Amino acid sequence: MDLVDLIAEKRFLGQEFLTWLWWKSEERGGSVAIPGEGDITVVFEKHMLLESGEGESSEKLICTGLQTELQEARTGLQMGKKLEQARIVINHNSYEYSLTMAGALMEYRNVRLPKTEATENDKSDKPEEVEGMILERIYLLEELVRLVNVLFGMFLKVRLGANWRDELQMIRQWIAKTAVVV
Amino acid sequence: MGFLKGSASFVRFSVVGELPENSLDFIAQRVIAFSFQDIDETYDEYSIGWVSVLNMFDSQFAYASYVAGDYITLTLRIDERKVSPAILKKIVQKEEERVRREQQVPKLSRSMKVQIKERVRTELMRKAIPIPSIFELCWSLADSTLFFFSTNKKVHAILEDFFKESFGLLIRQQIPYTTAEHLLDDDLREKLERLSPEIFV
Repeated sequence: MDLVDLIAEKRFLGQEFLTWLWWKSEERGGSVAIPGEGDITVVFEKHMLLESGEGESSEKLICTGLQTELQEARTGLQMGKKLEQARIVINHNSYEYSLTMAGALMEYRNVRLPKTEATENDKSDKPEEVEGMILERIYLLEELVRLVNVLFGMFLKVRLGANWRDELQMIRQWIAKTAVVV
Repeated sequence: MGFLKGSASFVRFSVVGELPENSLDFIAQRVIAFSFQDIDETYDEYSIGWVSVLNMFDSQFAYASYVAGDYITLTLRIDERKVSPAILKKIVQKEEERVRREQQVPKLSRSMKVQIKERVRTELMRKAIPIPSIFELCWSLADSTLFFFSTNKKVHAILEDFFKESFGLLIRQQIPYTTAEHLLDDDLREKLERLSPEIFV
């Protein structure tokens, strides 16, 4: 299948991943257990974009705010919307990454990488130190993508596995419980 | 911006195809052949090419400075002369009026108008200073992937074409579905193909 068709037809996959990840991050108060690596923290904050429908009938909902419980977004979930964009903070091995993930195309936006000694040292003229700085930045970028892919892999295993119905049941309960009842 | 400093926005591409043997020599030759050529002192309207990620005025890459470990780091620089439509419209109207008076005719012919517009556009274009835009990329030779630091789809299309022209390799954006194909074994990949959207409420 050509990429344009794949993007249109499989748009839901990234959105379902983000929606699942939001639930997963709240299931244990921000901790997500990564097989073989222990816990990492995944926190959703500040900015969210939810979407439902396709093409001309699609409907979008944007929620932002610093100290927010994202109640509108939760209500959006209850209306059948899925997450299309979210601001996510990931903590792993005392490194903190923050990014806005756009689900349908897996775009990494406004990524903030952890600050390390090497990456802050960008004034150096020595070629080996400059290369060191570049390699450190690349390492951090690769590490972020690896973490996101590990989480995505976890989602895929559940989503395509035999236990998806059970997991879905828990997600549905979470959505029903967290949305504001007016 | 964003690869080396500040906050970064990027997407990932897979690089499809094989580099020839002596890949580093091949890359060295191609990077220089497709390096950026300055058009400030010419009348060219458009120029595209590779420059250093550290300095957009460096298209010489002394000591193969684009190599960092197993990665090739490059900046795609595009310089373009542009004339704002409002300015073009204004000057064209002025010029039309001038010519009309000069020729003492009540109305200019259609072909005359087209001619004036084309002449004014060329003159303005020559005066315009090329606007530079830069987009970094970081190419992992080990696992044939790219980080490309822009989420603009038009720029993605330009990169796809220019990367192919430069290195003879195709690149394909990694969207969730294609990323999933890489992460899964054959059995689950088959299930993925048949997967349809779920209702979460």
